[in-house]
Amino acid sequence: MKQYLKIASVLFCICAVAAGLLAGINAITAPQIAANALKETSAALMDISGGFDLGEKREGNGAGINYSITLVEGKEIKGYVLEITSNGYGGPITLVASYDTDGAVIGAKMMANSETPGLGKKSEESWYMAQFEGLGGAKPLPSSKNDLADPSLVSGATVTFTGVSGAIRQGSEYVKGLGGK
Amino acid sequence: MSYIGIIITYVFVQNFILVQFMGLCPFIGVSKNSESAIGMGMAVTFVTAVASVVCYMVYYFLLVPFGIEYLKTVAFILVIAALVQLVEMVVRKMSPALYKALGIFLPLITTNCAVLGIAIINIDEGYNLLQSFFAGLAAGLGFTLAIVLMSNIREKLEMTPVRKSYRGIPIAFISAGLMALAFMAFDKSLITNLHLV
Amino acid sequence: MSHTKELTKGIFRENPVFIIMLGMCPTLGVTTQVFNAIGMGAGVIFVLLCSNILISLLRKVIPDSIRIPAYIVIIASFVTIVEMVMHAYVPAVYSALGVYLPLIVVNCIILGRAEAFANKNTVLDSALDAIGMGIGFTLSLCLIAAIREILGAGQITLINLSESARVIITLPGLSSSPIRVMTLAAGALLVMGYLKAFFNWMGDRKAGRA
Repeated sequence: MKQYLKIASVLFCICAVAAGLLAGINAITAPQIAANALKETSAALMDISGGFDLGEKREGNGAGINYSITLVEGKEIKGYVLEITSNGYGGPITLVASYDTDGAVIGAKMMANSETPGLGKKSEESWYMAQFEGLGGAKPLPSSKNDLADPSLVSGATVTFTGVSGAIRQGSEYVKGLGGK
Repeated sequence: MSYIGIIITYVFVQNFILVQFMGLCPFIGVSKNSESAIGMGMAVTFVTAVASVVCYMVYYFLLVPFGIEYLKTVAFILVIAALVQLVEMVVRKMSPALYKALGIFLPLITTNCAVLGIAIINIDEGYNLLQSFFAGLAAGLGFTLAIVLMSNIREKLEMTPVRKSYRGIPIAFISAGLMALAFMAFDKSLITNLHLV
Repeated sequence: MSHTKELTKGIFRENPVFIIMLGMCPTLGVTTQVFNAIGMGAGVIFVLLCSNILISLLRKVIPDSIRIPAYIVIIASFVTIVEMVMHAYVPAVYSALGVYLPLIVVNCIILGRAEAFANKNTVLDSALDAIGMGIGFTLSLCLIAAIREILGAGQITLINLSESARVIITLPGLSSSPIRVMTLAAGALLVMGYLKAFFNWMGDRKAGRA
């Protein structure tokens, strides 16, 4: 019996010390992690806001569009930023994209994804999203990679491209549906 | 995701061994003959399915209410270690035949990445209880599929002349690589095209 | 055995990846980029060093019958520390390593060294053993990652913290038409198989000469 008590107390002590230590480190790192996440999102939103101010945040449509934020100049709505979820090669992808009120892309940025490094991961780079800028209003968005000026840039990661362009097209349609309100 | 979608995902698209490399140590170590491969596969499937459910409950009913999600890794590995012990004791008591088949593999499973891997993936993907169960079951089935196929290949390889430096583990890895090439045919777009998302 | 030998054995003679064949899943899972390999190696060195030292210190306190659960708790705690610190200060590495980061817990190298070495040796020797094994692990990972990234993407990613903090060596020729399969799962297994065969061949040649 005494033997068991000793064993149990040793194991308990180790667990207690471990839990205490982790609680301490969590207290230090948790605020930093939260701040990082906030900073990343707001930096991405500022990046693609096209010089407008961020207005009110609205609910999305629950089918891909997570939320929208209006882009305003004074009181006038100049466009929208959307967070859109779609499917890539490695699973769900999340991106933020901004549009003017006609549905033309102002800017876009890849957020959370698990695409293949060197292939689909290229979508995180700025030139990738630049391929969509200005399209979606008067000029149509590419529906397959063959509509691009240089399809070889995205070859090897067609599934990623289909996911990204699909999301951006969906966003454009959604913005057109809002009708500038 | 639908249940069928989850099963196809973890058996084929995200096969634990050939795509995610989880559980590679037993995959190479226990795949020399098909009998032990089947035993190992069954033992892993059993434990991944049960561990998925138990870890889900520990996470949502114990860790989340107390706000100590950061203890996830510690809690899960302890749960899995205890669970493997418990399964071993129960199986030995209830079914000596099954114990004879699985017994020697059970202690190895605690440090099998596949079990901890699926428990963590379930939480990261935000699956519910039933989805977690199916993901765990499918992950184990995917493991079994890969290890049984591998053991058949290795039994054939035994009778084939192979250069000395390639014999054993190297040729096993290369065979696994070729199997992984075949598994690339199952990709994410399959799930999307079948409307199983 | 001398102290230097404790340190160097992990790098060549008892290399954890190519000779003892331990810790396979992170070895293949994260080696798509050299930078990920370095990040994983750093995590493993930290966990291995801390757990080896602590277990060596506690080797007379922990009763034999509960040593495995005790080791697991100790290792898991250090892994969680690495996870939290990386998440907070190098989020790029944290997201690149993904699920493989918590899986350091079940990396057989760490429990293996605790069981085979730290619980019967002095603190100094255990620390040296951990550093040697950790460096051997990291170098092996970097080798696999370099081969995969050079062939599969035609580049070597040394630092990739954000779009502004990035050091990537691009190789002309290969980067325009890389062998893409090398960065995918099949490539990892093939590279590992050929490397193991190469090391077997080296070992045989050395044994033949001696």
